[in-house]
Amino acid sequence: MLDNLNQDVSILQPSLQMTDSQVQNRIRQMKMEDPEEQTCYQKFCNLFTIEYYREYFDVTTELVISKVVNSFNPFSGTFFDIGGGIPELYGPFWILNTLIFTVALSVNISKYMQLQPGEHFEYQFQIVPFLAIFMYLKTLIVPMIYRVALKCVSQDRLTLLHCFTIYGYSAVVMIPVSLLNSIPNPAIQWMLLVYVLFAQTSFLTSNFNQELKYMPKEKKYMIVGLVAVVQITIMILYKFYFFSSINYQQLGLVKRKSHNHILSHILGAN
Amino acid sequence: MEFEAQENQGNNSIQGVINLDPQVNQVQAQQQEITIKQTDIQVSSTLEESVAVTLLRDLRQIGVKLRCVLVPTMSSNNAKELRNWDLWGPLIFCLMLALTLSMSGNNNDGTGIFATIFVLIWIGSFVVTLNAQLLGGKVSFFQSVCVLGYCVFPINLGALFTLIFSFFYLKMFLVIGCFLWSTYSAVGFMKLLIPEQKRILALYPVILFYLFLSWFALIV
Repeated sequence: MLDNLNQDVSILQPSLQMTDSQVQNRIRQMKMEDPEEQTCYQKFCNLFTIEYYREYFDVTTELVISKVVNSFNPFSGTFFDIGGGIPELYGPFWILNTLIFTVALSVNISKYMQLQPGEHFEYQFQIVPFLAIFMYLKTLIVPMIYRVALKCVSQDRLTLLHCFTIYGYSAVVMIPVSLLNSIPNPAIQWMLLVYVLFAQTSFLTSNFNQELKYMPKEKKYMIVGLVAVVQITIMILYKFYFFSSINYQQLGLVKRKSHNHILSHILGAN
Repeated sequence: MEFEAQENQGNNSIQGVINLDPQVNQVQAQQQEITIKQTDIQVSSTLEESVAVTLLRDLRQIGVKLRCVLVPTMSSNNAKELRNWDLWGPLIFCLMLALTLSMSGNNNDGTGIFATIFVLIWIGSFVVTLNAQLLGGKVSFFQSVCVLGYCVFPINLGALFTLIFSFFYLKMFLVIGCFLWSTYSAVGFMKLLIPEQKRILALYPVILFYLFLSWFALIV
């Protein structure tokens, strides 16, 4: 079984050549799957061992940094060529946590900047668990939607984990943008929102396009349309739940009543 | 059949090699050696001592470990001390931090803050340690949770400073100092156990964890 490994490596496409540590991981994985060598715990509770997940964390610092830099570029479409296109969960998970921290920070900064001269500033803490749940659910559900859509157009090269990886890395753009979002000017906020929407959608579609190149046009546009619609929905939710507390009355734009009503329902504010 | 018994609990230590071979006849059985070496206190006597003595001993151990963790010298004594992990220290510092922050007068959601800090510290330590293990580091799980919990102590100091002083930039300066102190201690411990090319990947969650806690301490 292990003798065939060299043969397998040579017939793989160039973009999927494995590095040394990936070869070792594959050997370890094949040993794990060998029924005689497994312990009882490994046979039945494999999902709960650490070794099961270790192959998805097999990354080095340079790999992660190069992927992050790539995700800032929405048109290159080379995301799956970095590091052989092996899916990983380190990047998405920690980018998500950084994003939660950054958004909580910038919501509070945005409230602080809108303080009237006599008001006392109260920090919004109840937003943190709500924000965390929103972000985690979003990151779990949206890649599943993408995977189902890809399966419907009978595209099997991108597995669910690939979708998780690429969706996680597409969220990197939101980190600096959410810091800038704390500026309470509505024009700037809408511009940033549009930029993020555009950057994320084109990043996702140009990378999916690498796999979808050979398909008939309708199916391609269906996928692209789905990606765009999902992104727009999420961005609108994000904007109106977390950054809508702008005091429009102070800026002389809109009456105050309706905003307060919606806000107090959503945020459970005191 | 031969087995080794090795038990390491603070000051008590029992090390033994016991050879039991059922096929050996009586004559040879007499020649088997049983060596048990006991250091310091005998096992049975800790049940009979007073509560005050037990508490003081535990507090002294917590103090010793705290000094090892927070004065970041890389001596081998430190490393040996830290191998005797315990979770009392982290629990005390976590409760102290959560109480300090929830009782300060700046907010009216004290219970929510207490719950958030408590959950954040324990689940955060758990997740950071899990991350280090998944990246292939040879960290023992509870040892790492223990060190991360002990390094929360400077953030405790930072929270107390924010209660005492009221000038915002002074508070910010002190809390940033405490954050750097915590992070330097935790990083000093963890970076020894991770291979070189994954070091920053394993240390970044530690930094994020203490940054989040310091931000909480500064804000409230």
